[in-house]
Amino acid sequence: MTAMVERPLVSVVDDDESVRESLPDLLRELGYSARAFSSAEEFLASDCVGETRCLILDIAMPGVTGPALQQALKVGGKTVPIVFITAQADEAVRQRLLEQGAVECLFKPFSDTALFEALNIAFRIS
Amino acid sequence: MNVDRQMCDEPTDDCSSERRIGSLPPRHRKPSDSPATKDRAPTWVGLGMPEISARVGGLIRQGRPLLVVLTSLCQLFDAAIKGYSSSVLLLDRTGARVRKAVGSGLPAHYMKQLEGRRVSWIEAPFGATINAKAPVILLDPVADALPEGREPAAAPGFRLHEVSPILSLTGEPLGIFAVYQRENSPDVTRRHSALIQQFTRVASAAIERMRSDEALKRSEALLERTQQLSSTCCFSWRVETDEINWSKELFQLFELDPEDAPVTLELLGARIHSEDLASFREMIERARRGVSDFEFEHRLRLPDHSVKYLRVAAYRTRDQEDRLEYIGAVQDVTHRRHTEEALTKLRAELARAARITSLGVLTAAIAHEVNQPLAGIVTNASTCRRMLATDPPDVEGARETARRTIRDAERASEVVKRLRALFCKKGVTNESLDLNEATREVVALSLSEFERNKVIVRMELAGELPRVQGDRVQLQQVILNLFLNASDAMGGVDDRPRQLVVGTERDGEDSVQLSVRDTGIGFEPQGLDRLFNAFYTTKSSGMGIGLSVSRSIVESHKGRLWATPNEGPGVTFSFSIPCGSQDVTAAVTDPHTPGAIRTAAATNAGDRHVRNL
Repeated sequence: MTAMVERPLVSVVDDDESVRESLPDLLRELGYSARAFSSAEEFLASDCVGETRCLILDIAMPGVTGPALQQALKVGGKTVPIVFITAQADEAVRQRLLEQGAVECLFKPFSDTALFEALNIAFRIS
Repeated sequence: MNVDRQMCDEPTDDCSSERRIGSLPPRHRKPSDSPATKDRAPTWVGLGMPEISARVGGLIRQGRPLLVVLTSLCQLFDAAIKGYSSSVLLLDRTGARVRKAVGSGLPAHYMKQLEGRRVSWIEAPFGATINAKAPVILLDPVADALPEGREPAAAPGFRLHEVSPILSLTGEPLGIFAVYQRENSPDVTRRHSALIQQFTRVASAAIERMRSDEALKRSEALLERTQQLSSTCCFSWRVETDEINWSKELFQLFELDPEDAPVTLELLGARIHSEDLASFREMIERARRGVSDFEFEHRLRLPDHSVKYLRVAAYRTRDQEDRLEYIGAVQDVTHRRHTEEALTKLRAELARAARITSLGVLTAAIAHEVNQPLAGIVTNASTCRRMLATDPPDVEGARETARRTIRDAERASEVVKRLRALFCKKGVTNESLDLNEATREVVALSLSEFERNKVIVRMELAGELPRVQGDRVQLQQVILNLFLNASDAMGGVDDRPRQLVVGTERDGEDSVQLSVRDTGIGFEPQGLDRLFNAFYTTKSSGMGIGLSVSRSIVESHKGRLWATPNEGPGVTFSFSIPCGSQDVTAAVTDPHTPGAIRTAAATNAGDRHVRNL
């Protein structure tokens, strides 16, 4: 269990199954521990909220969207660094999210290096 | 009775000569006013009655005003009998008031004061002659005191001699012919009743003739104005002789010179648009056979190469000699046709704009759909490479990520295939489909749109839903349109959650219903009827095309689409389509087996029976 302590937890929230399958493996390869959730509600209901050091969050999801989850966490006093991911390449949305405190907003498909850099920034902040 | 008068039904000189006129103190005074004639009427002296009638008739034919004609008549009378002056009091339509008083030789101010007065109020003889419809001969008009408040019957320097009613042929009072004797006239005993009656009859004929001319002119003017207003002209066509009569507006319409009259079919044919000439001739031939009324539309090609659209309608009749004749109207419908053409063009442009708008939404949705599996591919491939780079390489992990890479690539290719199918599709298809599944796909496509508009979407899909028959893409377009409408309707809502609930349920035994509920601005109850009109929109940026197209799609599925205001804020749009086996917009020809008409009846998922009929 010492490995769990050394490896900071990165949570992935995305309704897309391919992302939920592939991203945790890559995160583990990059040296993090990872958990995937299919919705914001599922993430909030889990016991990982407090433990999560970085959140990789999809924007467009049925029910509670990514930015709505960000607001909910902020209201709840949880300041976890967030890296948004989206299949909708909209620069205006990206700018808005960065202004509202997101670490990064990656357009799908993104490279492992882009993700790695975003995570590095996130962990420098925290 | 202060006024001693004698009534004669058939007055003659003999009859009246027996009457004595009461004594009258001669007042040798000349009329101080100038004669009442303002119009320059011709003066004739010493003419007999036939000539007088002819002269008056001539004035009428020349189109001289009625008052001029009547003044001339008075002058003729005055010239005929020395020492007398006559006047005509023209009555209004009711016969109760004096409209105009004309005469020659009588003081103008006296004439003037009679105008506008009630006949019964002027003086007893005037009212009496109208009431009795007979002449009144005055024996001593001035010696008797006048009733209080009444005007003197005689002008200063004149005494009233005889009044005679001017009656129409039907006996309606048109006016009064009044004859005055000069006070200095030596002969007070002679009567002129016969002559007065003749003049009265000429006056009656003149007034009647002028009134009917006036009425005719008025109705002609009215017809002309009506024709101008409605851009319509009338014509008659006597088929046997090809004689054509038409109103003068038709010359204008055909841009023909009125000098070209008489109008012939050849002359008209020269103006007909060459493309319409054959049908014009055919129509003429059909009309010649006289089988029915006719109505058709054709174009004119005018000398300046401009084109006019005419609508011709005529009905069949027989003239006095029992010959076939058409009477009809021609209407210039150019303006209407141009408006229609402009409207059609505008509609096409709007439809194109609407397509481009939805194409923009669709492009974004496609990017989203393709990027999802691409993200999986890139992530899996990256992981795979990293796993192989470790020492020792994680071959098992690499194999798994490679498998997932391939699976995601297949998924991407599936998306592309589906999109291609969507765009290559011609016409409608009829397949068995799961409305829940179709709805889920549209929700996935619309998520970015909802996110952009901060709309929370909730799905309340029925667990057990029978499959329906229809065109999947078309129905998905309807759902997408309802989503976009709901999202737009909530665009300005800030005081409550922007929530969209899409639900499916069974609707009775054999129908399935889908509802989209929003918390948007809603609409006024009176807007409900217009909601599905092609151009009705509450959105400033919207095209208003979506709902009417949606409705026609649903109706082609033998279903219906409706809207109901929510109890709270917003609106619920619903459609219901039958789940039994039926064709969508008649039957669809299977592209693979030309000529074969295909209907698909399905019961369970994927269970499809294709029947060739």
